[in-house]
Amino acid sequence: MTSIGTGYDLANSIFSPDGRNFQVEYAVKAVENGGTSIGIRCKDGVVLAVEKLVTSKLLKPSANKRIATVDRHLGVVYSGMIPDGRHFIDRARDEARAWRDTFKTPISTADLASRMGGYMQAYTLYQSVRPFGITAIVGGFDSTAEATVDGEVGAGPSCGAGGKVAGKTHGGPFLYMIEPSGLYWGYYGAATGKGRQAAKAELEKLDLGGPAGGPALTLEEAVKEAARIIYVAHDDDKEFELEMTWISGLDGPTKGLHQEVPKALREEAERLAKKAQEGKMEE
Amino acid sequence: MFRNNYDNDSVTFSPQGRIFQVEYAAEAVKQGSVVVGIASKTHAVLVAIKRNAEELSSYQKKLFPIDEHVGIAIAGLTSDARVLSNFMKQQCLGHRLTYGRNMPVRTLVDMIGSKAQINTQHYGKRPYGVGLLVAGVDEQGPHLFEFQPSGMTEEMVAFAIGARSQMARTYLEKNIDKFADCGREELVRHGLRALKESLVQDRELTVDNTSVGVAGAVKVDDGSTKVEPFQVYDQQDVAAWIESVADDKEGGAGAGEGEGEGEGEGMEVDS
Repeated sequence: MTSIGTGYDLANSIFSPDGRNFQVEYAVKAVENGGTSIGIRCKDGVVLAVEKLVTSKLLKPSANKRIATVDRHLGVVYSGMIPDGRHFIDRARDEARAWRDTFKTPISTADLASRMGGYMQAYTLYQSVRPFGITAIVGGFDSTAEATVDGEVGAGPSCGAGGKVAGKTHGGPFLYMIEPSGLYWGYYGAATGKGRQAAKAELEKLDLGGPAGGPALTLEEAVKEAARIIYVAHDDDKEFELEMTWISGLDGPTKGLHQEVPKALREEAERLAKKAQEGKMEE
Repeated sequence: MFRNNYDNDSVTFSPQGRIFQVEYAAEAVKQGSVVVGIASKTHAVLVAIKRNAEELSSYQKKLFPIDEHVGIAIAGLTSDARVLSNFMKQQCLGHRLTYGRNMPVRTLVDMIGSKAQINTQHYGKRPYGVGLLVAGVDEQGPHLFEFQPSGMTEEMVAFAIGARSQMARTYLEKNIDKFADCGREELVRHGLRALKESLVQDRELTVDNTSVGVAGAVKVDDGSTKVEPFQVYDQQDVAAWIESVADDKEGGAGAGEGEGEGEGEGMEVDS
């Protein structure tokens, strides 16, 4: 446990003499108690997965979704305080819609991460609020297609500022993780929640292309790895449900949309994950 | 005065990342009398025990209709419940005006979830001191949701909240596989049996202290579904149901096996 704040930890936005905001650190503790969430960015898309702990036998199976669609091409999963996560998603949807209203084009994953990072950060600035008790993983596929803007009048400039640069490509799969402090980074593989350490160790073993840009997992392989990692990160004593979504490009299985992984594929991925777990037990 | 430094307000995290004011608000739910909800493929029912302050006073209502297709059962601070209830009624009415049809139950429940969450993140506000069971029908069929002061909302097959509700939940867990195919009457009876599990000794269900609420989506002969509007039954209207579960063997099915008492659990507290 990190040191206790001796008076400097009783209100948000207060710096301790060594420059820490304890309330933000405590918010991170709330995240670390939540079910594991992961995101994988591969060559042709993004996969999001979450371990939903079954807190009661009376819960309706698979009725309570944890991964939200924020815009057609954007998905968000989070670990920590679930009501805070729902607030985060409400805001993310507002941002995505406002962006479309203003710019007549869908918000890019990077821009959404920036907006939401700023929003989270604002909740560390004032004593009148508390930080978010969540870490959110934002996945998206920004269109690579040559697209005119919605409601565009005229063709616009063909080169230079606001125009096209020959040979330059844009869009693709992106993954970001936003912490309670508002800090965010882009990732190839992201993990948060209780099992994050085990999950990170597994993610690091994967071939996700990386900065070197070597061969990377396909989207379907990534789905299977995501399921396996959630199973690895899971604490065996408790029951859980696996929820997974994915986003591909226009030429992929989801046609650029954020969607739930089809039941058949998810079940196959879970079967393989269980098999891998048993294999490990025998070793 | 306070148990520790971190439980003064709802904007302070404890070093473990907990918010005590929200946890205390959840305790307020356990002060209310027990309510039970169950959903089948065709119906969603709520049943409740009403309390009276004294012998000659009336009983506090526990079930409230929200819209044609939704009703709630409350446990905790009644006045907080009324705020949420009024909000839900307005939202349902607004939705009906705009879209010309019933609001999906999940949408409605998410709205009070968002509303309640804000109260846990801003100084000067307090969490709602009430838990709800929301039962209703929409195009997807019958639903049952639980709402907590934290803003947490979850869809359940069956659930019970309020004083000694753990006993009722134990009954529901034991019988969970039966509910989906239950008819309307059988579902109400299961609710009442769960309710009986949570009664203190020497008390029993009477027409005065029992409320039943039912909403349904029933298939009619031409293949379409017809909404049975949410309706609350009191007094003589519940007599037959109470009678029908009265001759169960003492304490109903699976008596005396409450797994841990609902109260007395004692919260863990930062030292």
